[in-house]
Amino acid sequence: MANAADRMGHIKPPRALFVQFPRGGMLGEPRNTGRQRRILLDALHALETMTEPGTVQELPYRWKWPDPA
Amino acid sequence: MSFDAAEFSARYEQWAKESLSDYQAGTVERIRKTYPYVISTDVPWTPCEGNISDKTIALITSGGLYLKDSQPPFVTGEIHGDPSFRELPRDVHQDDFGIAHNHYDHSLVMEDINTIFPIDRLLELERDGIVGTVASRHYTFSYVNDVVPLISTSIPEVIGRLRDDGVDILFLVPV
Repeated sequence: MANAADRMGHIKPPRALFVQFPRGGMLGEPRNTGRQRRILLDALHALETMTEPGTVQELPYRWKWPDPA
Repeated sequence: MSFDAAEFSARYEQWAKESLSDYQAGTVERIRKTYPYVISTDVPWTPCEGNISDKTIALITSGGLYLKDSQPPFVTGEIHGDPSFRELPRDVHQDDFGIAHNHYDHSLVMEDINTIFPIDRLLELERDGIVGTVASRHYTFSYVNDVVPLISTSIPEVIGRLRDDGVDILFLVPV
């Protein structure tokens, strides 16, 4: 997971999901179990489908806003 | 990628000397920009083969979590940080945790550990057959600037334990 694009440029993880969430909230809001589960599923999907080392995918979720349809 | 500890240490010692007063004053934004990051020259890569539902997954976060009744907290308040790690069992609960990390707002994590350490969500995915096994052991780190002991000691130890547990997937949540 990532929320600081500049640091991703230094670290170069194999695969990363980028969220515009605060530090301490990478998986979403407290007790938002649906969002937390969704982000984990996104991560597993990225693991299966990303083929280019270093790919960073930005997730569409916004803090305290409903998930996009 | 190889890590030149001597080269990093030279840059790091200069940065720490120049940054100490800002760090002690709590003005960390500037020193964050001048920190001598270790910049990776390549991207580590292992293709994902086989089914996720057959694999073992483990978590690592740098949120400074520790088991408050059985583990010492991470050292805080020093510019070098603490390069050690804590091992967490898969059956941890919200009330088991303390947080030792001075550089982020703990309020979200204090309300729900899954915001940075989604162990309950992973156990649900295991129950639902989406992942094969949630590893018996997971790991936390805290704030650390001097990465030499982190890279030379802590990381190899954690990697060894992950291999012993047959971990296939590592989910990293920084703070």
